[in-house]
Amino acid sequence: MTSVNNAPPEWERVLWRPQPFPDNYVPPSFLSALSKNPNVLPYRYWPLVLGACAISQNLSVVFIFLAVFTRLLDHTLDPRLLVALSTAGFIGGCLVWELMGHFESDAASSERRTCFSSSIQLNCANRSCSALGARTVKASLLVFLALIALAPILRTLTAPTSADSIWALATALFLVHAALADYTYSASPVQRERLTSVLSTNAAISATVVLASRLHNDLAVFALMLFSVEAFALFPVLRRCLQQMMPAPVQALVTGTLGLAALAAPLPGLCAAVLVSVTFGAPAALIWAQQYKHEIRGPWDAATPRGFEGDSGAT
Amino acid sequence: MISDFFHPDVGGVENHIYMLGASLIRRGHKVIVITHSHPPDRVGIRWLIPGLKVYHIPFPTLVSSATLPNFLTFLPYLRTIILRERITVIHSHASLSSLGHEGVLHAHLLGVRTVFTDHSLFGFADAASILTNKLLEGMLRNVDAAICVSHIGRENTVLRANLPPKSVYVIPNAIVADHFCPARSAPPTDTITIIVVSRLAHRKGVDLLVATAPRICAAFPNVRFVVGGDGPKMIDLLQMRETHFLQDRITLLGPVAHRDVPSVLQQGSIFMNTSLTESFGIAILEAACAGLHVVSTRVGGVPEILPEDMISFAAPTAEDVFRAMSEAIAHVARGDHDPHRAHERIRGFYDWTRVAKRTEVVYRAVLATPPYPLWTRIQRTMSLGLFVGPIYTIILIVDCLFFAFLEWWMPRENIDYVDVRWDATRFEKVAGHGNA
Repeated sequence: MTSVNNAPPEWERVLWRPQPFPDNYVPPSFLSALSKNPNVLPYRYWPLVLGACAISQNLSVVFIFLAVFTRLLDHTLDPRLLVALSTAGFIGGCLVWELMGHFESDAASSERRTCFSSSIQLNCANRSCSALGARTVKASLLVFLALIALAPILRTLTAPTSADSIWALATALFLVHAALADYTYSASPVQRERLTSVLSTNAAISATVVLASRLHNDLAVFALMLFSVEAFALFPVLRRCLQQMMPAPVQALVTGTLGLAALAAPLPGLCAAVLVSVTFGAPAALIWAQQYKHEIRGPWDAATPRGFEGDSGAT
Repeated sequence: MISDFFHPDVGGVENHIYMLGASLIRRGHKVIVITHSHPPDRVGIRWLIPGLKVYHIPFPTLVSSATLPNFLTFLPYLRTIILRERITVIHSHASLSSLGHEGVLHAHLLGVRTVFTDHSLFGFADAASILTNKLLEGMLRNVDAAICVSHIGRENTVLRANLPPKSVYVIPNAIVADHFCPARSAPPTDTITIIVVSRLAHRKGVDLLVATAPRICAAFPNVRFVVGGDGPKMIDLLQMRETHFLQDRITLLGPVAHRDVPSVLQQGSIFMNTSLTESFGIAILEAACAGLHVVSTRVGGVPEILPEDMISFAAPTAEDVFRAMSEAIAHVARGDHDPHRAHERIRGFYDWTRVAKRTEVVYRAVLATPPYPLWTRIQRTMSLGLFVGPIYTIILIVDCLFFAFLEWWMPRENIDYVDVRWDATRFEKVAGHGNA
């Protein structure tokens, strides 16, 4: 930084020596240590689109749920059919799950295994396939029965509330769900779920509960609740694992299928617009905004201290 | 001089204002200080020793001695004080002092010129920095010249406040060498005492101290530590001392008053500074002046303040701090370090009279340039930004109207002017031997 040269009076970046320069002399090295955007990673479009797929998948699920609800409401969908479909979906999901677990056990990556087991049975000590299967069946049966038992209560829980309030409340809760959901890519599966993602699931289930009061019979309420538990509690777990393991084409296929199914929702035009803008518009906007990134770093920034290597115990 | 930070608080800025004021008075200027009051006893007007008059404005403080920024309420006080004391230059200190900011904002109404000294470094990335930088930029649009305490501080301020580099001066702090004398008897070379005097906060790099101290104690059985200061990281130091059973090797003094710092420094032979950011590092200078060998992290303005042969540098990693400390301990153990020679060298480097002379040059330069007319001020303020510009302009215009109202309400003829000056010669006769 300092250059020592005795012969001609040369400006030095020191304060302890009086120098033959005025105090407001601007040296040629002024701001030479300044660096702009030193640790900025320029984004590329398609990886961003792939990342946005998680968001559009989640939104699609919300739209599909709304489609199912409106059809239940005007009796164009038989609740028994919905129950059957949900059960089939659940079994299908479990199969996909097991298959992925199988692939992964070949790779002998235990962390992924924890990811699978953590979804339905936390702390599953014995991770052999049969034990996992038995536990899954038991847990799902319990949920199934509990929902049947609760259906009459849920139907009348918010029945006295006026329809306007219900629509407004449900909209707000779904917005909360969409805003707080965990869209992170390849988060370490061992890591505990964050509070926001728990809140997000809760918001979606609460929205279902308030909407359920508009339905006409207990079976419909039960079918809706079952579907909602699958769509908002179980599907995100499956989605995250898919996201971690599956190549991009599968991702695109899943997003596309869900997106098409979402067009069954009321106001299909709006849904399509939202999905397209989230999947393709938002990444483009982010890349466009990158040009305005202007981060300044210099020697005045606080240094980051580093401890001894391999000495984490030093408090 | 205007700042929120002044005696009876202690700190770098407080001391700087006092010393600069005292030196300017000795050079024949008239200096008054305006700060906020410290109820119950520091209120009204007080005189400090070399004839420095201090006005305490009754504003409540918010946090850490800063007053609430309110842009207008200071004007009535300031107008009266500036008029009755016949002030020509306002020198505002510290970028987080709202009194200082207001002083700069109002100065043009009274035909007074402004100088601002920035004492700290700020980053650009976090939300707090972004806000304070905008505040600073808004204020420095109206200032005539700025002073920074180090070259790095100048680069930082120029960037933060969008100033032309020519209008920013570098005038370092100074120290009173007589206050920091080495111990009479040379420190023993068989037991080496390492001194740390610092606020125990993250920015001061206490984590590095906590990581390296056990290693140093293990590697050199003849080394002991004396740590002065208090802060949120005190608990980490205590824990480290417990876990490594170093109670007899590491002495924690707790908070140390500024007047006791020299006696603490005299106990040791190496001063260790692990700051992560530092705009000037007056503590390092004080330690070097007291004859200690200094080991410091190479951050901020620290490399500028001492010649390379008086200070050892380390990168802000535990490994490198340990390396630098080992070398320094070997250096001192060999008896290569001469405290009295170091003291004499520092005495030649830094001197408040020289600082006062250099500041005078800035004042003269400012007084020689024409002030901005109001319309230019408004244009400069509008150019601050899409949202901030109009807000600041509205404040500026309301300020002008408020001033016009005050002119009518408290006419200048009714103000009680101060015409009697402090008699310095008489004072010298009575107590002149106290300060050199």
